Amino acid sequence: MEYKAPSSIDEAVMLLAQANGKAHVLAGGTDLLVQIRAGFTKPTLVVDVKNILELRTISVADDGVCIGAAVTGAELGEHDAVKAAWPGLVEATELIGSTQIQGRASLGGNLCNASPAADTVPALVAASAICLIAGPNGQREAPVEQIVTGPGQTSLKNSEFVVQFQLPKKLPRSADAYLRFIPRTEMDIAVVGAGVNLTLDKKGICQQARVALGAVAPTVLLVEAGAKALIGSTLDDAALDKLRAAASAACNPIDDKRGTVEFRVDVAGVLAKRAVLIAKQRAEMN
Amino acid sequence: MPRFGIGQPLTRKEDLRLLTGRGRYVDDLSFPNQARAEFLRSPHAHARIVQIDVEKAKSASGVCAVYVSADIANAGLGGLPVWFMPENAPPGYAPEFPLLAQDVVRYVGESLAMIVAESAEQAARALDLIEVKYESLPTSVGLEEATSDGAPELWPGKAPFNVAFLWQGGDMSAVVTALRQAAHLVEIDVINNRVAIAAIECRAAIGVHDAIKSRSTLYTTSQMPHPLRADLAAIFNESEDQFRVVIGDVGGGFGSKNSMYGEQALVIWAARMLDRPIKWVGERSDAFITDFHGRDNVTHGELALDQDGNFLGMLVDVTANLGAYISGRGAMSPVLNQPALAGTYRTPAIHVRVRGMFTNTVPTDVYRGAGRPEAIYLLERLIDKAADELNIDRVELRRRNMIPADAFPYETPLGLTYDGGLFERNLDEGLRRMDWDGMVSRRAEARARGRRRGIGLANYVERCGHGITQDAQIKVAADGGVTVLIGTMSSGQGHETAYAQISAELLGVQPSQVKVIQGDTDLVAQGKGTGGSWSIPVGGAAMSKAADAIIDKGKEIASHLLEASSADIEFSGGYFTVAGTDHAMDWSSVAASAYDPTLLPEGMTPGLEGTGEFVPSNHTFPNGCHLCEVELDPKTGSLDIVRYLVVHDFGVVLNPLLLEGQVHGGVAQGLGQAVFERTYYDNAGQFHTSSFLDYNIPRADEIPSIEFISNPTPCPANPLGFKGCGEAGAAGAPPAVVNAVVDALKEFGVKHIDMPLTPERIWRTINNAATKQDFP
Repeated sequence: MEYKAPSSIDEAVMLLAQANGKAHVLAGGTDLLVQIRAGFTKPTLVVDVKNILELRTISVADDGVCIGAAVTGAELGEHDAVKAAWPGLVEATELIGSTQIQGRASLGGNLCNASPAADTVPALVAASAICLIAGPNGQREAPVEQIVTGPGQTSLKNSEFVVQFQLPKKLPRSADAYLRFIPRTEMDIAVVGAGVNLTLDKKGICQQARVALGAVAPTVLLVEAGAKALIGSTLDDAALDKLRAAASAACNPIDDKRGTVEFRVDVAGVLAKRAVLIAKQRAEMN
Repeated sequence: MPRFGIGQPLTRKEDLRLLTGRGRYVDDLSFPNQARAEFLRSPHAHARIVQIDVEKAKSASGVCAVYVSADIANAGLGGLPVWFMPENAPPGYAPEFPLLAQDVVRYVGESLAMIVAESAEQAARALDLIEVKYESLPTSVGLEEATSDGAPELWPGKAPFNVAFLWQGGDMSAVVTALRQAAHLVEIDVINNRVAIAAIECRAAIGVHDAIKSRSTLYTTSQMPHPLRADLAAIFNESEDQFRVVIGDVGGGFGSKNSMYGEQALVIWAARMLDRPIKWVGERSDAFITDFHGRDNVTHGELALDQDGNFLGMLVDVTANLGAYISGRGAMSPVLNQPALAGTYRTPAIHVRVRGMFTNTVPTDVYRGAGRPEAIYLLERLIDKAADELNIDRVELRRRNMIPADAFPYETPLGLTYDGGLFERNLDEGLRRMDWDGMVSRRAEARARGRRRGIGLANYVERCGHGITQDAQIKVAADGGVTVLIGTMSSGQGHETAYAQISAELLGVQPSQVKVIQGDTDLVAQGKGTGGSWSIPVGGAAMSKAADAIIDKGKEIASHLLEASSADIEFSGGYFTVAGTDHAMDWSSVAASAYDPTLLPEGMTPGLEGTGEFVPSNHTFPNGCHLCEVELDPKTGSLDIVRYLVVHDFGVVLNPLLLEGQVHGGVAQGLGQAVFERTYYDNAGQFHTSSFLDYNIPRADEIPSIEFISNPTPCPANPLGFKGCGEAGAAGAPPAVVNAVVDALKEFGVKHIDMPLTPERIWRTINNAATKQDFP
């Protein structure tokens, strides 16, 4: 196995394009290294993108926030502006692993590992994040929900990798939230994850909403019926019950030893509702 | 009292070594010219081995040898010895437990072949080259399946209906009379869930054979070096002195390292065959499916009460899962500790029937408490259920039936003679410290937050240390340094500290002057190893007898040199003093003199040492009350253990730090079994919870700080007053937390919930989804 750590996007693209056999991009390595050590994957080339400036930069501008795909969880967790604008996304990121893992783990890696249970993905989907993708044919953009196509599968073409996530301009009275359910208190894989992003008007009526669920389907779900249940309401009990029902209805989980279908479906509704209440409270203060 | 004597919070002598990575575990050892072994494990729960072809594996790169069952059978090696079968019953069946499966594999993980190669990687790679043709056989995996009509049998013709043994204890006719007289009869069915024992150090073994001396040495991880040597002798049909067992630091055992495993004999066999040291180190994934599991039984209990709630009698029917074979001590847990069913209560008649069952699972063996936690769980759940059904307060019902402080010695209906305890004071103290009565407002406050609170308690009495004799040898060097040789075996408990402290108390030396030698059968003459909370009570008492011999000799020496009568010499604080004078010799002068024949009385043999043996006259009876408060989220089933308190009576406390550490660990394991740890075999006998992702042992953040209240009473059966504390935590915790959760779920009409109390289990119970099973 060959290990390369290029310092530019072009160099990384070239290395990936010229690879013979299986090539993997390493953003944090917290999933990849485990998979290599366990023998699940045997790459001939690993391209570490942590030395590429664009992938390590967080930039905050009037029109939104850009987060490099290899920025670590710890870096994101200490970035006051991002925390203030996207607390739900930052919380989702910080839920991953332990302190040591936080020093390596990245949004790009969490997305492209393509686990249905990835914590940051529902938060990114709720936030309407756009991925900037580099590849042999230059750069392109795609909504984050289009990247993962199934467990372990992405729509990225050969030699492509995610450079950064662009989050839209934060509107007044907007906020996001993320909750996950695990059978223990920390350092575990989501049995259900729920990300919500809301915009309220001055009267507290919900103008925009995005609801995304993780670990309840082969890919993260954007629950449009859930958003519909919220938009136009004051997020009263009736609207929340409708949202809960819509979230549960959208689920298509597997039965496994970490949670049965019935349990995941019910808890997805519970978590979506709770995440809305958190986002509402935050939005009212913005 | 010396500064580091009994009762002092001496920090652990072994911690600097262990915490700085300088412990010596089996994997830290290597020998010149050593080869590595790996084992082929059965992927099937029940299958006939039609053919094993090892030719390709033999010719693989680096492979030295491949052994299958026929190889060792031809050499006359026996199976794993069974140390216990119940006797007062119709003869049970203990099948031969071969080192490598012969014609049939009976559980996933059973060893079929051993490969020895130059490196562990080469041995592991060659495993894939062994070709085995299996013919699958029908399985009986769970207890329900194994006991059902027409269940496939593991041992056809030998163990009909998969029954290994039937055993009963207590007076059936007295219980029948009690049941007839009862105003109330309360029943409960509980599952004591199977657990993976999961010691942090996986099993490992190195076999070294000295062809010239014709002796074999086993370096391994074990709680019981001398019994292990006896097992080796039995398997090889040789005398025990052909073998030496050496145990270094042991990274936890909890019962899983009491009995022998096939690998420990096979590394010696291969070392002899190949004339080189053979090392095997197990992986965690191996450990989950090959280490003996703990617990696993289904129990029906009936409690007869009179009009006023007095207990009249108890009938208990246990079905215990032994796995596919009977492990070395696998039949002990479901049988030997059933007397724990009496608890702290004056139930006049108890009868217990135990059915030991074979299933297509890895065998079970003793696990922290070894039957006591199972019995106490049944009893304390049954009492809560009785209180609920009779509409009597559960504290009041316990109080009404408690053995009073003036009742000792108290004969229980299962043959124990309790020698003391303040059971009601344990309870009162616990209730007060937990603010039991303040629960009303805490419940309301939690409910206002959408959560539910519950509180529970459990009383327990254990019996420890009887039927075990242990000797200790203490040698004093000319410089006054003390060496303790003892046949117990620490697997993390802190024996080096404990025995140093006992030495300090008995001989007035500094703990730093004390060396403890355990775990080498060539150096330590006799031993039972460590289990059953007996090391400190029984080992300590043996040390006290050894110390007496040393002090007596020291007095003789001092009397000779101080020219006084030995009857006038007093020993205290490290000084031999002529009573009523300031004439004295200190410890080191006496020790030095002991090795100088010119200073000794005529005829006295030089040297200063003593050997003591302790044969307990009765068990010790550690007891206490565990209380637990929980809060749960009724929408997701998430459970927080918010408070945990233990009121305990361990008699004299040797070292409060060590003692609390033992109870913390025990409580954590008890809460682990009750709340977090779920083993799952599917119907085909595949084990699905074989990593720490799926098998949740509790973490520090999931266990609250454990509060401790001491309420000691004397321990007449032990000369130093120690009762033993290693297992108590695991016994009290499961019923305390389950009682608390049932209390929290009362409004949902819940009468019982089986362990482990995972969020999904709680969610299902709330949603009354009784017909739906957990998945898989």
